[in-house]
Amino acid sequence: MYNLILLHHRQSTNSLHQNLSFILNKPFDVKFEQKPKPTLSSPHDVLVAVNYTGICGSDVHYWVEGRIGDFIVENPMVLGHESSGTVTQVGDAVKSVKVGDRVALEPGTPCRRCTPCLSGHYNLCDDMRFAATPPYDGTLTGFWSSPEDFCYKLPDHVTLQEGALVEPLAVAVHIVKQAEIKPGQTVVVMGAGPVGLLCCAVAKAYGASKIVSVDIQASRLEFAAKYAATHTFTPERVAATENAARLLKETGLVGGADAVIDASGAEPSIQTSIHVVRRGGIYVQGGMGKPDINFPIMALCTKEITCKGSFRYGSGDYKLAVEFVASGKVDVKALITGTVKFEDAEQAFKDVKEGKGIKVLIAGPNEK
Amino acid sequence: MDSSFENPAVYLSGPGQASIKESPLPNITDSHSVILKIAYVGVCGSDVHFWKHGGIINKVSEANPLIMGHEASGVVHSIGSAVTTLKVGDRVAIEPGRPCRRCKPCKAGRYNLCPSMKFAADPPDSHGTLRKFYEIPEDFCYVLPPDMGLDEGVLVEPTAVAVHACRLAEVKVGIDVVIFGAGTVGLLCAAVAKAMGARKVVSVDVNESRLEFARGFASTDTFLPGSGDTAGTIATQLNTAYFTKGADLVLEATGVESCIGAGIQVLKRGGTYVQVGLGKQRIQFPIVSLSEKEINMKGCFRYNAGDYDLALHLLGGGKVRVKDLITSVKVFEDVTEAWETTARGEGIKTLIRVGGV
Repeated sequence: MYNLILLHHRQSTNSLHQNLSFILNKPFDVKFEQKPKPTLSSPHDVLVAVNYTGICGSDVHYWVEGRIGDFIVENPMVLGHESSGTVTQVGDAVKSVKVGDRVALEPGTPCRRCTPCLSGHYNLCDDMRFAATPPYDGTLTGFWSSPEDFCYKLPDHVTLQEGALVEPLAVAVHIVKQAEIKPGQTVVVMGAGPVGLLCCAVAKAYGASKIVSVDIQASRLEFAAKYAATHTFTPERVAATENAARLLKETGLVGGADAVIDASGAEPSIQTSIHVVRRGGIYVQGGMGKPDINFPIMALCTKEITCKGSFRYGSGDYKLAVEFVASGKVDVKALITGTVKFEDAEQAFKDVKEGKGIKVLIAGPNEK
Repeated sequence: MDSSFENPAVYLSGPGQASIKESPLPNITDSHSVILKIAYVGVCGSDVHFWKHGGIINKVSEANPLIMGHEASGVVHSIGSAVTTLKVGDRVAIEPGRPCRRCKPCKAGRYNLCPSMKFAADPPDSHGTLRKFYEIPEDFCYVLPPDMGLDEGVLVEPTAVAVHACRLAEVKVGIDVVIFGAGTVGLLCAAVAKAMGARKVVSVDVNESRLEFARGFASTDTFLPGSGDTAGTIATQLNTAYFTKGADLVLEATGVESCIGAGIQVLKRGGTYVQVGLGKQRIQFPIVSLSEKEINMKGCFRYNAGDYDLALHLLGGGKVRVKDLITSVKVFEDVTEAWETTARGEGIKTLIRVGGV
C-alpha cells in the first residue's frame, strides 16, 4: 500500500519519470527516453509499474553485439526482461490479480493459437512476443502491459527484489524438468552463473542426492558449494574425456551422473558433459554459446543418451518458481549482489559484462 | 431449408421439443474467426440423450432453448482480417469446442479439459452447429482433402475421439487390443488402432450385425458375448479365444458396467485401459484386479492438440473408410427423424444435410 501511495504521489508531481525507458540504439549506444505509457488492449490485460529488473547474459549480448543469431536490433529497443512490478490497472475480465498486487512478470506473450501453443509448448510459439527480443520492447521501463495469466502474485513475505529473480529461476525450473530429475538421482551442472546456481538449487528441491557444480572460476565454485551444490569441480585445459574421468572419480559418481545440465554454452563443457552422463542418462542443453560446436556423437549413440534442448520456460514453470521462493526451498536473495538506480542502468550492464557479482538489479524509473 | 429465415437453426427446448427457428446471423467478432456455411451435421449418442431427456448434466429449457449439433462440416463463407490459413470456399471439418486458451490446462496443452470450454450444443447457451451459418476460430477448422466429401467430413470428429483414445493409450506397433462397443466410436477406435500398428484388434458387441460390419471394417476378430454373461465370463472366453496372457490394451467404448469389468479382467498384467465411452456415473468396479495387475487406467474426453490433424491424415488416402459408416442422410427439416433413427439403433452414423454443397 505504501509503495502505491508513493507511486501516485510521484506520478502527479514528477511526471518526468512516468515511463522513462532504457533503450538500445546499436552496440554500446544506449539512451534514456520517455515512451508513451502503455494502454490495456484487452480486458484480460493488466498494467504493471515495474519495480526491479535483473540483467541476463542475453541482455548484455544485445548491448555488445546488437543481435543474437537471427534476432537483430534494427530499431531502437527497450532492454530488460527479468522483472517484478506492482499492478496499477486491470482489465474488465481480470480475476486473479487486483490493483496494488505485487507480481513477478513472465515477459513472453505467446499467440495461443499455433500448434506449439495448443499442444502445451507455448515457449516454442511461432509468433512469440518476447520482451527485449527484437522487435519487441523490454521491461527496463516505467510501465509494462501484460496478459493477466502472465503475472504471478507474490506472497506478502516475498520482496519485489526476489520477484525479479523469478524469471531466471523459472529458466532453471524448466531445465530441471527437462532433465527429469527424480529423488535420489545425481546431477552435474556445467556453469555456476545465476542459471547454473539456480539449476543446482532446483535439482536439490527435486530431491537430487548429489549435485556437482562445475566452473572455471574458483570464486563461483566457492559460492556454489555454500549455496546448493554438494560437490564442485574445476576442469583443466585437457581433453573432455580426461576432465570427465577425473570429475567422476573425485565426486564418486560411479558409472556417470543420471543427468547433466549445461548452463554455460561452452564447447568444452558440452563435450565433457556427454562423457560425464551415464549410459541411458539425460543431457540438457540450457546454456547458449557458439551456434555450432564439435560434438562427441559416438558417445551419445553408444551410451544411448537422451539429449534435450531447453528454451526459456513454459506451462507451470513460473508458478513453481514462485512457490520455491515463497516456501524458502530456493533462496534467491543470496544471488542479489547489488541494486542500482534506473539512471545507472548502463553501469550495471558494464558490471555484468565484466563478470562482477552474481545478479545485479536495476530499480524501476519510478522507484525511490 | 426454409428460405424465409436468414439463419434457420434447430432449437431444442425440452425432451421431445424441437423446432426450426430463426437464429442470429453471426458476425466476425474476432479477427481470427471465420463464418462457415454448415454442410452436414452428424448425430451422436449424446444428441439422442438430449432429445430424450433434454440434456445430460445441464438441461435445455423453454427459457433457454439450445441449437443442437456438434459433429459438422462446412464451407468457409467469410474470414476475419487476421485469418491466414483459410480462404472463402474452403471445405472444412469442424472442431466444435472453443477453449479459453488462458487457463492452466489450456496452456499445458490439454485444452479439452478447459473449465471454461464452450462446446457446441452445451446448455445453457453454447449453441451448436445445426444452423445455416456458424462462427468459429480459424485454428478449429481443418481443410478437407479434395477426395473427401463434406458428408465424410462429419466423421472427422468421431475419428478424432478415436485418435485421442489411441494416443492416450500409447498404441504401439504389435500390441493386442480389445475394443468394447462396435458403434461409430468403437469401430473408429479399431480402425485407428490398426492404422497405428496394432496386431490383434478384437471388437466386442452384443449386436451381431455390428460385429459383421466390424470384421469388414477394421477388426481382425470379433466376439459376441452371451446374453447375461458376467464380466468374468466374457473376459475368460475372450482370453481363451484370442490371448494367452491377456490383452495389452482395452479401449472401452460402451460405458456399460459389465464391459468395464470384462475390460479390466481381460487385460494382461501391466496392461492399459482407456475409458472412452460414457454411461452410468457410478458402477461396480473390480478394483483389486486393477491393483494386483498394476493396470494403467485413463479417462478419455473428446480430443485436443493434434488429434484432428492425425484423424485427417488417417482418413485421407482411404486408410480408414469412413464413407461406409454413413448409413442414412436426412434433410434439415427431418432432424427429429434423424435423432429417432439413431435412438432406435438403426445403422451406424446418420447425417443431417444442412446446406447445399
